[in-house]
Amino acid sequence: MRYFEYLEPRTLSEACEFLDTYPEAKILAGGLSLINLLKIDLVTPRYLINLKTVPGLTNIEFSVDKGATVGALVTDQDVIESPIICGRYPLLVEAGRKIASLAIRSQGTVGGNICHADPSADFPPALIVLNSRLKAVSSKGQRIVPIEDFFVDYLESVLETSEILTEIEIPAPLPNTGWSFLELNKTWNSATVVSVAATISLDSGGKCGAARLALGGSGLTPIKVTSASDILIDKEVNPNLVEEVSLEAQKICNPISNVFGSADYKREMVGILTTRAMNEALERAKAMV
Amino acid sequence: MGKQVASFIVNDRPYEVLIEPQTTLAELLRDHLDLTGTKFNCEVGECGCCAVIVDGKLARSCLTLAITVRDKSILTIEGIANGNILHPLQQAFIDYGAIQCGFCTPGMILTAKVLLDKNPEPTREDAKEALSANLCRCTGYVKIIDAVLGAAERMRSGTG
Repeated sequence: MRYFEYLEPRTLSEACEFLDTYPEAKILAGGLSLINLLKIDLVTPRYLINLKTVPGLTNIEFSVDKGATVGALVTDQDVIESPIICGRYPLLVEAGRKIASLAIRSQGTVGGNICHADPSADFPPALIVLNSRLKAVSSKGQRIVPIEDFFVDYLESVLETSEILTEIEIPAPLPNTGWSFLELNKTWNSATVVSVAATISLDSGGKCGAARLALGGSGLTPIKVTSASDILIDKEVNPNLVEEVSLEAQKICNPISNVFGSADYKREMVGILTTRAMNEALERAKAMV
Repeated sequence: MGKQVASFIVNDRPYEVLIEPQTTLAELLRDHLDLTGTKFNCEVGECGCCAVIVDGKLARSCLTLAITVRDKSILTIEGIANGNILHPLQQAFIDYGAIQCGFCTPGMILTAKVLLDKNPEPTREDAKEALSANLCRCTGYVKIIDAVLGAAERMRSGTG
């Protein structure tokens, strides 16, 4: 690794000040993504700021009006073991369980999983369909970014170099909402090829009150399939409509050909997983009504 | 800033070591402390050979900067025996023939230890899942899983 200076902020303000003072600085959380990048000189920061020395970023709380707030430094494993997340957001637990292994999940953080902006990351598609919002803090204040607006390009987000992701807000789940998270992996717990996250909420008449769909590994960023909602809303979900959503997902996704498969293959897998995910979400929703 | 002296607690022993910010925990253990049970292998966190336990949790020492784990409790393979008495996992790996070249063994044993600390009665599937991020090129894994389950049984019955 190239030489860098190492900084330990004692407070969030101090961390933000460091980012202002040292523009060639990167935030260090779990280190799994960043240190790999440092080892191959893909990024060469002059300063590394250890965010883990800042207290208060590892809490998970829930209130009925705000929903859940998850600190950015909560490890992946702590997210999936949290009684709050297990009790209310099984979709997020399912997504988190797909992350690599206990070793990686014990060291990696949900904030890092998001900020690294890898389109194949497991949490983002789930957080997109859960309508999550991200709190980004700098010395100038804070802003809230809906997660579907957070990702710009491969490994690139809207986070400014002066900003730190501190919290993930997840609204309280809608009633009568079924969910599904499906992944195609190279082997059962290895790299994600494509992933699909879906929720379907049913109204009292059994019609779709809300539907959300997001894709991972299917483009340069995680992708929200906005048209899923347009197709399904206020309708009784049937196989033809599910097929329509699946075709939409295939149309708007933009997978890259690589060792895990060609773009055409991945597109076809997106279609298959979308159909399965929509059906699974629908079954779960019906079971709740 | 350059080199600085930092304090570490490894296998319950205190050390003061001159390190740089870039020094990984794996380098600290192997190159500075001569604890060579922890291995360099893939160096990207995927093979499990560098696995250590920090404050009770699994960590990839190749992807951990030593300076970030100052004053934390670090457990390596050298630290799990009780004096001359091997940990039940170590003994089981020997008894079940789960070691060939031995390179993956420290990482396997530490990962299995974390499993058994959490779940003293794992199923075969639990054990396979827990060790799925530790790669072995020699054994084909069967005897490793047998050893983990065998150690679990000995530990439960108090004969380990």
